[in-house]
Amino acid sequence: MDWGLRNDGGQLVASPTGRVDEESWKDFSTQLNAAVQEALAGTIPVLVIDLSGLEYMTSKGLRALTVAKNEARGAVTIRLAAPNGTMRRILSISRYDMLFPVVDHVDSAR
Amino acid sequence: MLVRFWGTRGSLPVAQHADTALTKVVRALLIARGREFADEAEAAAFARTEMEFATYATFGGATSCVEIEGGEEAFVICDMGSGLRDFGLSALRRCAEGHPRVYHFFLSHLHWDHIMGFPYFRPAYESGASIVIHAGHADAEQALRRQQEAISFPVPFDELKARIEFVTHLPMDPFEAAGMQVTLIRQTHARGSFGYRFEKAGKAVVYSTDAEHRPDDMDFDEGQFEAFFEKADLVVCDTMYSLAEEASLKQDRGHSSNLVAVDLCHAAGAKRLALFHHEPSYSDDDIQRMFYETLRYEGLVRAGRPKLEVVCAYDGLEVEV
Repeated sequence: MDWGLRNDGGQLVASPTGRVDEESWKDFSTQLNAAVQEALAGTIPVLVIDLSGLEYMTSKGLRALTVAKNEARGAVTIRLAAPNGTMRRILSISRYDMLFPVVDHVDSAR
Repeated sequence: MLVRFWGTRGSLPVAQHADTALTKVVRALLIARGREFADEAEAAAFARTEMEFATYATFGGATSCVEIEGGEEAFVICDMGSGLRDFGLSALRRCAEGHPRVYHFFLSHLHWDHIMGFPYFRPAYESGASIVIHAGHADAEQALRRQQEAISFPVPFDELKARIEFVTHLPMDPFEAAGMQVTLIRQTHARGSFGYRFEKAGKAVVYSTDAEHRPDDMDFDEGQFEAFFEKADLVVCDTMYSLAEEASLKQDRGHSSNLVAVDLCHAAGAKRLALFHHEPSYSDDDIQRMFYETLRYEGLVRAGRPKLEVVCAYDGLEVEV
């Protein structure tokens, strides 16, 4: 998994690519929590996870999102953007699409 | 080994309402569309091949009780939920045909849904029967005696005629029972619970129910369970909640999800997973949908591994290992 992070005019946009599975979830979680801390420090209210480059995510990646949401303590909203078909099905099967807002495009997460 | 499920429901026994049966009959009639059958066997074969399980059958509603056939000269039973009553009646029939009247129980924990069947376990009322109750909790005897106190049940524990012995075990300290090697693992649940790994003749069955795998303890907790499930031929796993429920509204309730069960089994190289401890508010349709979703998820994240066979446990299911 690779990771990118940029400030996109009032929101942080994280761009993981590859897979988040039992090999890569710790790295994903570390980067995600660091992004939450950066958003908190910069009083940036929205962190968008751009899922367009992500093949899929297993339960460990999804639960890393929960840990990050807890870290954000309500001060930063985490949104999931542009999931591929596989990720969309995983978000539905896990019911994580009920825990996090899911939008079609990074821009529509504003 | 043959694994036989006598009770698969979590928390509370569930009974079907009249309307539920009617809905199934109506659906079946619509699928048959006036077709004629020579006899009941032909009709049953049609139902099994042309209808979904939730239409022609039910996942059942008895609480946790799983028999592992293959012990030497003894019955091996995991938990004493309300499914134990039917197991007891079956065991009496088998004993009448010559099976030794020896029972080894393995308790995951002492919550009510896992022990409520014992007062209705007919072999416990037989003077020639021998019952060994293995547990990780040292107060298993207290829990079984308490549910037969006068305020709860008319027959006191001391009136049971079988010889009953309690044995407390430590986690990760393998021991022999009924010709099997048995190992316990401590699990996250209110007041703690224990999973069991049974091994015999190169085969391994894992019974892991009422186990929560918390998001804030994934590294340590799940590494332990991946090792415990390693290359198991069958893992019976608590899949009571969706992942979102497990990680949010129902965190700390002590239960797991279908997705975590698949991921643990994938990482462990297990061959087969049985979805177990079904949420009591779930209808047969809900359980079937959860089963189909689990199959879909397993395929989406398999990533070149051998296929993990997933079965959805129901009262009456038998799995050959």
